[in-house]
Amino acid sequence: MQNVVKPFVSTVRGALTYRGREGQLAWFGHRLAGLGTLLFFIIHVIDTSWVFFWPEGYMHAIALYKTPAFLIGELMLGLAVLYHGLNGLRITLMDWRPSLWKYQRQMTWGTFGLTALIYAPVFVIMMGHILQIWPGIEIAAR
Amino acid sequence: MEVTLKVRRFNPEQDEKPYFAEYTLKDVEPVDRVLDLLHHVKWYIDGTLALRRSCAHGICGSDAMRINGVNMLACKALVQNLIKGERGTIQVEPMYGLKVIKDLVVDMEPFFDHYRSVMPFLVNDTIPEGGRERLQTPEQRERFDEGTKCILCAACTTSCPSYWANGTYVGPAAIVQAHRFIFDSRDEAGADRLAVLSEENGVWRCRTIFNCTTACPREIPVTQLIAEVKGEIGRR
Repeated sequence: MQNVVKPFVSTVRGALTYRGREGQLAWFGHRLAGLGTLLFFIIHVIDTSWVFFWPEGYMHAIALYKTPAFLIGELMLGLAVLYHGLNGLRITLMDWRPSLWKYQRQMTWGTFGLTALIYAPVFVIMMGHILQIWPGIEIAAR
Repeated sequence: MEVTLKVRRFNPEQDEKPYFAEYTLKDVEPVDRVLDLLHHVKWYIDGTLALRRSCAHGICGSDAMRINGVNMLACKALVQNLIKGERGTIQVEPMYGLKVIKDLVVDMEPFFDHYRSVMPFLVNDTIPEGGRERLQTPEQRERFDEGTKCILCAACTTSCPSYWANGTYVGPAAIVQAHRFIFDSRDEAGADRLAVLSEENGVWRCRTIFNCTTACPREIPVTQLIAEVKGEIGRR
């Protein structure tokens, strides 16, 4: 366990105290997005397996996903998958064409910008859906 | 200028954990270097402060440390680039990722172990044509020029999040040294070096974060050189 915890703690401590530039920010975001997506995959595999092993539990899980906390989580999942994918492409491009290092700052900001641009309509659509089914929203709107 | 110098201090023989000591320095010139401030503290305020330095002119690479959160050489860090106005604070810490021996002095041995692992010397047992010199064109020399600028200060390796996570990663500096010989037309051990670097703790632990490139006091495009080594492993 120490083999996992110690590197994790030292990396997070370093990431929070070392004043790296855009590259470090992009990496930290990439890791957060990756871990968030992994968490979703784990939960998803478990709840889907319940269809066979524990059908009542599966129905309960589906109901749980319609609660505010999970709806916000779904919104974050969309951002995480999008950013992780786009930043991964940037890193692949950098490794494929090393001479691009001169433009690494611009490419990093470009990735942030492109993520925001693509995510904006996704956010509007998903948020609209959330507001439709959010408990109590209809009452508040009246 | 008035500068408050915050130095992270730790003497394992006395202290339970590291702490920040503050020294107020008056009449500091904007063109003074952080090394000058540390010298002032050591020579006139507290002689127990431990730090490494040698040439004091950015060549030996002894005084790499974390200044205001970023790795740099104390002898190249000007106060005017760290403080705006007539007074301010400069924070000095030892490099992260290497064990602290005392105050700003870290144990460089793991760093040099990685350096040695890539065989940082010319390997060529064949007798050159004419028996005297191993000739090289200016283009062949240019191919590995960037790597020759490395002064082994460890600023790049200790700025790397992959190295913070795993000290067995060879690190940017060792890869730069390997690059210097892999792309040297006179060298014959490129395959051996690439074999070392294609292992679990070789180049593939690089996440293309660019902290090493921005930390390098010699302005070596470290990440580019690492990516070139990755590409070379793929080609061979």
